[in-house]
Amino acid sequence: MAKTVDQYFGELRETRVWRSIFRSGTGSSTLKRAVAIQQNVFLHLFSTKVRTRVLGFSATWYLGTLTLGTFLLLVATGIPLMLYYHPSVPQAYADMKDLQFVVSSGLFLRNLHRWSAHAMVFLVFAHMFKVFYRGAYRTPREFNWVIGVVLLLITLLLSYTGYLLPWDQLAYWAITVGSNIASAVPLMGDKIRFLLLGGHAVNANALLRFYVLHCMILPLTAMFFVAIHFWRIRKDGGLYSHSSEPEVVRARVANGREDENPPSRKIGEKEDTPSTVSVKEEQ
Amino acid sequence: MTDAKDFVAGVDSNAKRSPRRIVFITRRTSAQVKAETEEQIQTFPEVLFRAAVAIQVLAIALVWIALVFNAPLEGLADPSHTPNPAKAPWYFLGLQEMLHYFPPVVAGVLVPGLVVMALIVIPYFKVNIEADGLFLKDRQRRLRMFYIVAAVLSIFLGWFHVVVALIPTLIMAALMLVASQSSPKSSSAFRRYLAARPLSYWIMTWFLFELVVLTAVGTFFRGPGWSWVWPWQG
Amino acid sequence: MSEETKKTDDVSRRQFFAKLGLGSLGIAAAGTVAFAYQYLEPNVLYEPSPVVNAGKPDRYPLDSVTLDVTTGIYIIHSQEGFFSLSAVCTHLGCLTAWKPELGIIACPCHGSKFFAFQQDGHRPGDKIEGPAPKPLPWKHIWLNDDGDLLVDRSSDVPPLARDSFVRI
Repeated sequence: MAKTVDQYFGELRETRVWRSIFRSGTGSSTLKRAVAIQQNVFLHLFSTKVRTRVLGFSATWYLGTLTLGTFLLLVATGIPLMLYYHPSVPQAYADMKDLQFVVSSGLFLRNLHRWSAHAMVFLVFAHMFKVFYRGAYRTPREFNWVIGVVLLLITLLLSYTGYLLPWDQLAYWAITVGSNIASAVPLMGDKIRFLLLGGHAVNANALLRFYVLHCMILPLTAMFFVAIHFWRIRKDGGLYSHSSEPEVVRARVANGREDENPPSRKIGEKEDTPSTVSVKEEQ
Repeated sequence: MTDAKDFVAGVDSNAKRSPRRIVFITRRTSAQVKAETEEQIQTFPEVLFRAAVAIQVLAIALVWIALVFNAPLEGLADPSHTPNPAKAPWYFLGLQEMLHYFPPVVAGVLVPGLVVMALIVIPYFKVNIEADGLFLKDRQRRLRMFYIVAAVLSIFLGWFHVVVALIPTLIMAALMLVASQSSPKSSSAFRRYLAARPLSYWIMTWFLFELVVLTAVGTFFRGPGWSWVWPWQG
Repeated sequence: MSEETKKTDDVSRRQFFAKLGLGSLGIAAAGTVAFAYQYLEPNVLYEPSPVVNAGKPDRYPLDSVTLDVTTGIYIIHSQEGFFSLSAVCTHLGCLTAWKPELGIIACPCHGSKFFAFQQDGHRPGDKIEGPAPKPLPWKHIWLNDDGDLLVDRSSDVPPLARDSFVRI
């Protein structure tokens, strides 16, 4: 009897090898779905449940997700581009021409990388403003906001270091102007510029340093902080939803009770209740 | 003996499978231990699939743009020849526009530094936690403060002829005046909306407005020698 | 009865869309793999040409073995004519050397030795001893219009065949 594909996969999933790799198995029960997140090394950054209301498009416009998406696109296009790019002067420029005219799909990859970079800078600003206007930075999410600002700076630095790599007129002079601004920092400015460029002018050393920053140091730093950023979302009580927060604060302010520090308000906790714990039963 | 208020005791939910455990939670740790009052759904598949779709839509849009529009590539870098104008990437053009008016220490170091620091401390200021309209409380005092700050800022910008930053400031000041003359009982929905905006909203919106205008000016209205050009004039 | 049909309709519609979605992802993935492979294979190589110009034949006296270290070939002038052997050892790629005192080609890395001339029924390039798995290959050699000897390192020819020699 001929086996269908489904039957074949069904049997595959019963084998010892498969079950040693995928231990939780699939399923549509709440427990199975929670376990799928919780037992996965990458996904267990996220919590197993999310507030329904925050999943609508109008809540966040998915800006955080989209920023992550552009970052993934940039890594996925950036690594192949590294295979044809020599960070030396003037070979770098020749390699840009190479990518655009000689390499199969080179033009497409380069274009995609460039436009994704612009999109990411735009999206990360939009995400910041959206988080602010929703009030999702308030207690207990303050530090995650700070991590977000750090990520904003890393994004701008990534874009800036990448800007030099084509070694064309646009790149060279933009970075010259930028590094001169760095030297305007009082006391340490010239030293900062010297360290940044690896010299007194934008030359081969500068290109190599910017290349290492752009391809290795900054992406690793970004991933590090992104992981913390996601972890903090979970630990701060999950994605922020309007209905879970301002009532208490508004009530306090309306009653004229101006405290010195804003109360460390936990999600769902009502005022003046003794701190009790009731943990939801998992099905 | 530790203070009884330093921790609370709870019981692990799945007592059938694991031996009874007492959970000690100190205050100010993860809020997740508290009961959730809102409706929730599973991350997998709801969140992950929605995120996957969102990212796919983004990828399609960017791929289409990459297929149609080419990224720029000018001539080989030539240290002996500066192009005119030499513009920074678009997200720094606001900064470059300010460099036109102020020395590099101010426009390049001080202002961006202050902006970053201001962003970082936003969540730690009480004024940002309150969600009530700025002029709904303590109106006279706040209106006075508003007049002083608006005047100082406008005079400062006018003194240095920073027209591109002055105009958004004046517009925002006008909006804030409207807000101060409105209340939750105002006739138009717009005035009710303005009346309910807190101070944090006004500051951030002013900042956003300035950012957009300065970047737009640097992108479209500046030509050779950083002189003013009208974008429709070639 | 109608409830049953409704249920089976539901399942098959879900399955249809699941198959549609997975199928499209599969096609996209296959396309990505194809384009990625094309991307990874360089279209243009910035490497020196495999064709070597060895100069005029009278540079190579009879019964001489001349090694060109930059291009890795021997030009050998024997009784039958001019022919070319690869100087790259077939064991692990070291550059071999001509030992005139021994009359053989020897590899310094692991001691492989090769014939340079016909001897005892062995052809030039055949292995005398050592770990090399194959004999040194013969390379295509010909005269161009200027009378120069040209060798194409990317093209192997059969040993001792008539067209493997250049006869003046």
